[in-house]
Amino acid sequence: MWLKFLLNENKMHVQSDLQHHASSSDLGRALCIITGASRGFGRTVAKELSLRVKPGSAFVLVARSESELQTLRAELAESDAGRAGLEVRYVATDLGLTEGLEKVTKAVQEAASELIEHVLLVNNAGKSPVFTEMAEVNSYLSFNVSSVLCLTARILQAFPQRPGLRRTIVNISSLCALKPFPSWVLYCAGKAARDMIFKVLAEEQPDLRVLSYAPGPLDTDMQLEARSKSGDATLRKSFNEMFTRGQLVSCEESCNKLTKLLMEDSYTSGAHIDFYDI
Amino acid sequence: MCDASTKDLGRCLCVITGASKGFGRSLAQQMPCVLQTGSVMLLVARTARLLQELKAELDTHVLLVHCVEADLGTAEGVNKTVEVAKKENVNDFDHVLLINNAGSLGAISQFSSFTDLAEVNAYISFNISSALALTAGLLQAFPQRPGLRRTVVNMSSVLAHQPLPLWVLYSTAKAARDMMFKVLAKEEPNVKVLNYSPGPVDTEMQREIFQQTGVSRELLPCQKPGAKLLKLLLDSDFCSGTHLDFLDL
Repeated sequence: MWLKFLLNENKMHVQSDLQHHASSSDLGRALCIITGASRGFGRTVAKELSLRVKPGSAFVLVARSESELQTLRAELAESDAGRAGLEVRYVATDLGLTEGLEKVTKAVQEAASELIEHVLLVNNAGKSPVFTEMAEVNSYLSFNVSSVLCLTARILQAFPQRPGLRRTIVNISSLCALKPFPSWVLYCAGKAARDMIFKVLAEEQPDLRVLSYAPGPLDTDMQLEARSKSGDATLRKSFNEMFTRGQLVSCEESCNKLTKLLMEDSYTSGAHIDFYDI
Repeated sequence: MCDASTKDLGRCLCVITGASKGFGRSLAQQMPCVLQTGSVMLLVARTARLLQELKAELDTHVLLVHCVEADLGTAEGVNKTVEVAKKENVNDFDHVLLINNAGSLGAISQFSSFTDLAEVNAYISFNISSALALTAGLLQAFPQRPGLRRTVVNMSSVLAHQPLPLWVLYSTAKAARDMMFKVLAKEEPNVKVLNYSPGPVDTEMQREIFQQTGVSRELLPCQKPGAKLLKLLLDSDFCSGTHLDFLDL
């Protein structure tokens, strides 16, 4: 059974072969796809990664808000990377819908070129859930779980393994993937599901670099919602305390750690790494 | 047929999903032995005929059996099940027991084959959302009150924690479910929650696995892990939210 074969020592050999591709100074001529790029952590990732890629790179930014994506694209165009020729496209769409996935896949295929030596997908888009009914649950899971599986599968189909091509898939995870929090059933279930999706991917394709990164409690709109709207009073209290004590993590600080992980490229594929672990 | 035992699960409203075949059917056959007279069992599945055949086999002088034909992958199916349960008078019972057993295998195939959002969503709807919506609906319908025990079981799998190539759909759903029920255990200290892995049981699902993967293995007859599950529920001394695997017990 060749699959069992892959699961043991040979996986280690394959990974160490690939590590010589990693340079600690940049991410190469990269095609970066970042979801949830309009705000919060995703926006920071887009800006940070633009500093780490070589000229000839291309970004595809995905979110629902067209105006915010336009602003971000303009900022990137003005930046040093932009002036050096970084190509930035955006797709304003809902990834929870098939049309959304198709639009993104198309944009990614258009952005690709023979020069690209690294495909990097950052599955960052996420929503805070409000649920009781099956329709709401399905909509939440479609956006936060299914679309991540399908988008990643499509990107992998569009960019199959070939010599000289690095492929990295990042899953923006959470402590909630590992630990249950009262009143957060959908968020925890979605994050647990995503971590498993990427663990299976890492097992299945040892030539891929797969990372589940939990960014820490970020100072973003999602955190603001959590402080004000979480159903559990104890949890709301502890979120508010974190905020008032300045214990929230800035997107920049967290993104720095993520970028470092990506550049060092020595994490175990499929691993869950938390901001506080590093 | 039943062991002489003084222990039972009380005057119970017991809901078993996926009761028409496999492990659910086996559990439904074993359950009457541990239910007090006056209990009600709701058997839920898509195929009415199979449920009726099962009902006919069961010893119904001890308890009432209702067959609920419902597709739990749909809101209508979940709502119908909750509505049927609500027709029962909560004061007739001292125990509400939900066995979230219904589930499907899905495609066992390469990760990059899962490009169809509709296919993945349909799978998730049946294997994740329905367990959440049904559990929430029943707990809402039968809220906590003195003298009422509430127990929820999630049919889990070793694959909830162990990633295996080609098994992304099934593993993802099992991982999500385990987490959902762990959150439930945290949120509702008065609900006893168990994530239970029965091991590789001899069912149609295992035959499907063999068809899709060509891998065959030694299978357990459903009765063994079924009996073990009932014993766990009777003793009720597991920690709420825990994951227990028949093969470890």
